[in-house]
Amino acid sequence: MSDVFKLMGVYAKTTAKSWFQYRVDAVLKSLAVFLREATGIIVIWFTLLKFDQLNGWDIYEMLFLFSLLFLTYGIMIIFFTGLRDFGRTVRDGSFDRFLLRPRGLLFQIIFVNSDWFAAIGHGGLGITLFLISAGKVGIQWNLAHAVYYLFAVAGGVLIQGAVFLVLAALNIYLLETNSLKELLYWNMRKFAGYPISIFHKAIQFIMIYVMPFAFVNYFPAQYLLRKSDMAQYPEIFLYLTPAVGIGMYLLAYLFWRFSIRYYKSSGN
Amino acid sequence: MSLIEVKDISKTFKVSKRRGGVPGMLANLFVPKFERKEAVKNISLSIEKGEMVGFIGPNGAGKSTTIKMLSGILYPDSGEIIVDGFIPYKQRKNYVGRIGVVFGQKSQLQWDLPVIDSFELLKAIYRVPDAVYQKNLSRFTEMLDMGSFIRQPVRQLSLGQRMRADIVAALIHSPEIVFFDEPTIGIDVVGKETIRSFIRELNEQDKVTMLFTTHDMQDIEKTCKRLVIIDGGTKVYDGTLGGIREQYGTSRQLDVEFAGRAEIAPIDKVEMETIDENKKRFIFENRDIQINELMNQILSRYQVRDINISEPDIESIIRKIYNREVDGI
Repeated sequence: MSDVFKLMGVYAKTTAKSWFQYRVDAVLKSLAVFLREATGIIVIWFTLLKFDQLNGWDIYEMLFLFSLLFLTYGIMIIFFTGLRDFGRTVRDGSFDRFLLRPRGLLFQIIFVNSDWFAAIGHGGLGITLFLISAGKVGIQWNLAHAVYYLFAVAGGVLIQGAVFLVLAALNIYLLETNSLKELLYWNMRKFAGYPISIFHKAIQFIMIYVMPFAFVNYFPAQYLLRKSDMAQYPEIFLYLTPAVGIGMYLLAYLFWRFSIRYYKSSGN
Repeated sequence: MSLIEVKDISKTFKVSKRRGGVPGMLANLFVPKFERKEAVKNISLSIEKGEMVGFIGPNGAGKSTTIKMLSGILYPDSGEIIVDGFIPYKQRKNYVGRIGVVFGQKSQLQWDLPVIDSFELLKAIYRVPDAVYQKNLSRFTEMLDMGSFIRQPVRQLSLGQRMRADIVAALIHSPEIVFFDEPTIGIDVVGKETIRSFIRELNEQDKVTMLFTTHDMQDIEKTCKRLVIIDGGTKVYDGTLGGIREQYGTSRQLDVEFAGRAEIAPIDKVEMETIDENKKRFIFENRDIQINELMNQILSRYQVRDINISEPDIESIIRKIYNREVDGI
C-alpha cells in the first residue's frame, strides 16, 4: 500500500514538473477556464436582476446551486483527466503502454495525468460562488449540514466520474466519443445550472434518471434550502446522492472491465 | 518447455470498409460494412532462454500484432501463448514486469522532462530496488553513451538519442525477455551500430532473450543467429540465417565481361541479363547446371575479359520471399 502512495507521489511530481515547464501558460490556462465559466454566470446574474426570482429561487440560491456543479467538476477532473482524454490515448496507441506496466489500468489512467488548470478554474469558481452565496441563503451551517454537504459533494464527483468512465469505455468500441460527451454531458449540464423544476417533464426525467445531474446539485441544494418546488419530488431524493454516485460508479466500473477485453490497439 | 511457447495463434481484426462518394458516406453511417482481416494465421513458435531471434516480414505481415499478443496487449482469437509460465493476456499484471518492450515508433518517455525523470518514474512503477536501479542506470548510460544528454528534456533530443533513451527505459527493471519492435527505424549508420552492439552485449552477458523486428537486414545479420520470417500472417521461414541461403538462395550469378560486343546465344535453363554493351549476367540454379559446365560453354565460344561469380545477398533472397518468387512457399 505504501508503495502505491509512493508511486502516486512520483506521478504527481512528474505532472507538476511538466506543468512548470510552461509556467505562464499554466496560469493563463486556469484563468481562461475560470473566466469562461464565470462569464456564463455573470450573464445569468444580469438576466435574473430583471426577474428577481425563478420558481422561488433568488439569485444567491441559484449561485449556491451553481457552486455545487463547479466544485464537483473541479474535484472530479483532478482524478478523471485521463478518462476525459482517453479517446486520444486509445487512438494514438499509448494505451498499449499502460497495458505493459505491472499496475492497475484505472489506477494508471487516473494518476498519470491531472488537468490542474481545469481543476483550479472550475474548482476555484465553485469555491468563489460558495463563498459568495453560502452565508446569504439561510443555511444553518452546523455539523450535520457540513457532513451532508461533504457526502453530497463526494456523490456528485462519483456521478460525473461514472459518466466519464462509461464514455471512456465506449472509446474502445467507437474510438471517439467526444460528440456523445457533448450531447449527453455538456448539454445536460447547461440545464443543471437552474432548478430543474422550471423545465419540461421530459427534461426533468432525463436529469433525474438518465444523466442524473439533479443529484449532483439540485437535490443536495434542496436538502439545505428546502424550497417549495421540492414538493413535486419524492422526499427520499434528498438523501440519495451518495448512493446514486456509488451505484453508478460501480456499474460504470463493471462496464469498463468488460470493455477492456475488446481493446484492439492501433497499428504500427 | 521453451521459455516462449506459441501454439497456433490467430488474430482477426474487423475493419470497417468505407464506400466512396456522398451516397457511400451516408451508407457507411447507417449500414456500416465490415471486412475481416486476418492479421495472424496459425503461427507457432518456440524460443529458448537466451536466444536472440530476428523477426521480419513486409509491412502488414503481422509482426506487430504477434508482438502485441506476446506482450499481453492483445488477446489471440485462438491458440495459446505461454511465456515463462505465464499466459500474457490473462496474467497481465504479474507478467509484464518480466518483459521489456521497445516500440521504435512510440516513445514512452515524458516529452517535456529530462530523460532521467522518465527513468525515475519507471523505477517507481516497476518497483525497482535502489541498488538495481543505480547499477542498471550507470551501466546502460555508459554502454549507450548517454551521459551528455540524460539531463536534457526529451523534446530536445535527436531521434538517435531518443531511441537510446527509450531502449534504456524498457530495460531499467532488468527484464528477462525483451521485444524490440523496429528499434533502429530512422537512425543513422553510427547510431544503428551502437544499438546493435548494445543489444548483442546484453544478450551475451545477461542472457536476455530477445525478439527483434526490423526492416533492415543488417540489423539481423549483425545480431541474430535465428531468423523468423512471416508474411501475410503466416510463418514462411524459421531457422538459421545461413539456412535461408541453403533453402532459398540456391541460385548463383555469373557476371561476364566479353572482349567485344556480346551477341550471346541463349543457354538452356540459364537466365541472361544484359548489364551493358559487352557485359552479361547469367543467373542459374546449381541443380540445373554445374558452374564449370556453364563456364566451359562460355569460354569455348567467346572471348572473355573478366568473370565474377557471386551468390545472392540475404536482402535479395528476402525480397524474393516477400514477392513469392521462391519455390516451396
